[in-house]
Amino acid sequence: MVHFNPLPSWILNYTLFSEIAFAIITFAVCLYSFKIYKLSGEKKSQLFGFAFLFISINYFLQSFLTLAALFKLEQNICSLMKIQDLQMLTLYGIYSHLFFFIIGLITLVYMTLNIKSIKTYILILAISIVSILFSSNKIYIYYVLASILLIYISFYYLMNYTKNKQIKTLLVLIAFLFLLFGNIHFIFSINHQVYYLIGHFLEFIAYLLILLNLFLVSRK
Amino acid sequence: MSKKRSRLEVIHDILEAIKRKNKIIKPTHIMYKSNLSHKMMQSYLKELLEKDLIKEINDSGKGKTFSLTQKGIEYLDQYKKMIGFMDSFGLY
Repeated sequence: MVHFNPLPSWILNYTLFSEIAFAIITFAVCLYSFKIYKLSGEKKSQLFGFAFLFISINYFLQSFLTLAALFKLEQNICSLMKIQDLQMLTLYGIYSHLFFFIIGLITLVYMTLNIKSIKTYILILAISIVSILFSSNKIYIYYVLASILLIYISFYYLMNYTKNKQIKTLLVLIAFLFLLFGNIHFIFSINHQVYYLIGHFLEFIAYLLILLNLFLVSRK
Repeated sequence: MSKKRSRLEVIHDILEAIKRKNKIIKPTHIMYKSNLSHKMMQSYLKELLEKDLIKEINDSGKGKTFSLTQKGIEYLDQYKKMIGFMDSFGLY
């Protein structure tokens, strides 16, 4: 997750562990979706798979950067990537996080809209990315935008639960609500480490619920 | 009125129809058992052949028939898991 101020190593350790876990869980969901798409040709499964692939890439990149911060490898990475300034590396990391997570959420939203229009998808994507890039406070706009998208996705899963009242649908609904609350906490985390930790904890519960759902579904 | 079947369900119905007919079936039986129009059935059969879920058998006595492949049998085994996944993540 995005952090500006140097964090204590125990927080970095916890962050690294959770980001690797999130990356693996989201990648597992992505693989399962692609497997279903390959067998059935269901377009929604393909989109869902891509959404989780983008989210997974985001966490893999984040964990890589956290690892670099933890082992003070930033200088080595900078020289490897031919980047002069250390701050540029942090900036690249932050932008890649914003970029992949937002694309993931937009792909998820596009999937729920039930429309076949690549133009609509590109339009939503362009508006979101441009509004982040050209705002004076990119991080706030990013979290606000991600929260709006997560509110919409949570509402979709609430409707899904009311239509199909099962433990599995409830787990997914609660997971996305936790992701939403976690994201809201990250809005306040820019200046407060406590909010950052709470946000991460809520996110951790969200992905644990998704993992639990995946386990319940695949053990049948 | 019953809701429209998803692709996953239609494919399941076709494969299940083949399985119930001792894994060998004529196209007309597939059409009736899986409740599809001729055009739709042809399109699905083409896709299932491409995905290696079924195979075509040209028997001079029986005419054109279809049977399940190993992948088709696996699809039927995995069907409930796939439906569970799609239900929970609202992929319908």
